Amino acid sequence: MSQTFQCGDNTALVSYLYDECEPSERAAIDAHVALCAACVAELAALRSARLQLASWTPPEAELSFQIVRPHPSTIARGALAPHRAGVRGGDPALSEVEGQASDPRPQNTEARGRRPEAFTGLAVWWGRPFPTWAQAVAACLIFAAGLALGIVGGSVPGNAPAASEAVATTAAPPSPAGGPTAVSNTELVDLERRLRAEMAQLRTSTVTPGAVAPHGISEAQLLARVRTLIEESEQRQQRELALRTAQVVRDFDSQRNLDLAQIQRSFGQIEGLTGAEVREQRQMLNYLMRVSEQR
Amino acid sequence: MNWTDEDLVARSRGGDLDSFNQLILRWERPIYALAYRVIGREEDARDVCQETFLRAFRALPGFKGQAKFSSWLYRIALNLCRDWIRRQRRTPTVQLPEGVDPSELAAEQGPVESIEDLVSRRELSAVVEEAMALLPDEQRTAIVLKEYHGMTFQEIADLQGVPLSTVKTRLYQGLSVLRRHLEKNGRTPQLVKRV
Repeated sequence: MSQTFQCGDNTALVSYLYDECEPSERAAIDAHVALCAACVAELAALRSARLQLASWTPPEAELSFQIVRPHPSTIARGALAPHRAGVRGGDPALSEVEGQASDPRPQNTEARGRRPEAFTGLAVWWGRPFPTWAQAVAACLIFAAGLALGIVGGSVPGNAPAASEAVATTAAPPSPAGGPTAVSNTELVDLERRLRAEMAQLRTSTVTPGAVAPHGISEAQLLARVRTLIEESEQRQQRELALRTAQVVRDFDSQRNLDLAQIQRSFGQIEGLTGAEVREQRQMLNYLMRVSEQR
Repeated sequence: MNWTDEDLVARSRGGDLDSFNQLILRWERPIYALAYRVIGREEDARDVCQETFLRAFRALPGFKGQAKFSSWLYRIALNLCRDWIRRQRRTPTVQLPEGVDPSELAAEQGPVESIEDLVSRRELSAVVEEAMALLPDEQRTAIVLKEYHGMTFQEIADLQGVPLSTVKTRLYQGLSVLRRHLEKNGRTPQLVKRV
């Protein structure tokens, strides 16, 4: 049976290109190609593309997959630990595809370049990133749990954070403007004077030596503790005062430097203006003198 | 002893795990190469390759041997590739080599091929990879199966679930696009070296 081939029959051309056509079809295309330059060029171009495709090789990958069972013998053979068994698919008999630590078996040509190494466990579910929705749900749950704990913790009266907050409030000096730099020297001096007066009052107060307080502590001990506390407070106040004073001095110095710089700039501008005016007047005088001499 | 695929499949179905591992050893490179050429990403190709064997192992009791084991494996791999492409919803990106280091190339290859030829082949490989990434998935898959896995038109048609003529059309169209892209990049037929 003879067949005919017409230009533009691409499917037949592809069959001819890959040599997967009937002998009669091949003969027909052979006969046509002998006369048709366009088909010859088309076939040459397709062959060229095929030839260039041969250069594309995928990158070397370390595969060495292996199916292992969760059985002690697999440990002895060097397969990966069986604790990862059955994590996918729920098949208790099947572990999963794993990498092999060493592969003594002969390899075929496709397996050349294989490097024995422990497979990194691509299929392990916990190694994969969680989807966004799961992360969002987890975040909400954590937030809700934290909120619930906070509510429960806050409802307990006299809990530790509240107490420490009260201590901090009483220990902190009054700050009228809300910031340490807003305290003036006068206020600090007043504070110091008030504290000294209180301390003097405490010292001069009548205390019966040896008396016992209702809590079982003698009044002498109590007085000693109070004095200690007062001394500590005084030291703290002095340190704070020194810090504040240093701060004020620094602020004053920086402001003074700024003012001096501003004054110097202003003087320079004034001098520049004055000099320019003097130059203009001098030029005017020279001009007038030249004009008067000409006349 | 050199077992055939059918022998190893039969032994695997009988519970011999080592036989299935031999099948993996035999076919993991071709399956990885197929996955890489279809989806264009090395790590994902590894994933697909691994998942292919995992699914094959689980489905082994249902494999009755109507088709060749390799065809069955290719079908699983192509289905996974198709799923991956659907998930990605974009043209697969290919990892082009950032540069060619002649010393590295000389170290990894034997003295048979000169460094110049090796560099030229690497460059050509990058251009081909880029051109393949431009093709629609079905054309790229058809070319990969035909050119790199030596399948017949009928086998490709069976795997892709399309008529024979469609496979030929896909091959023709894909090769035409490749040819144009390669010519545009200065890869004319005269410059082609047989490697």
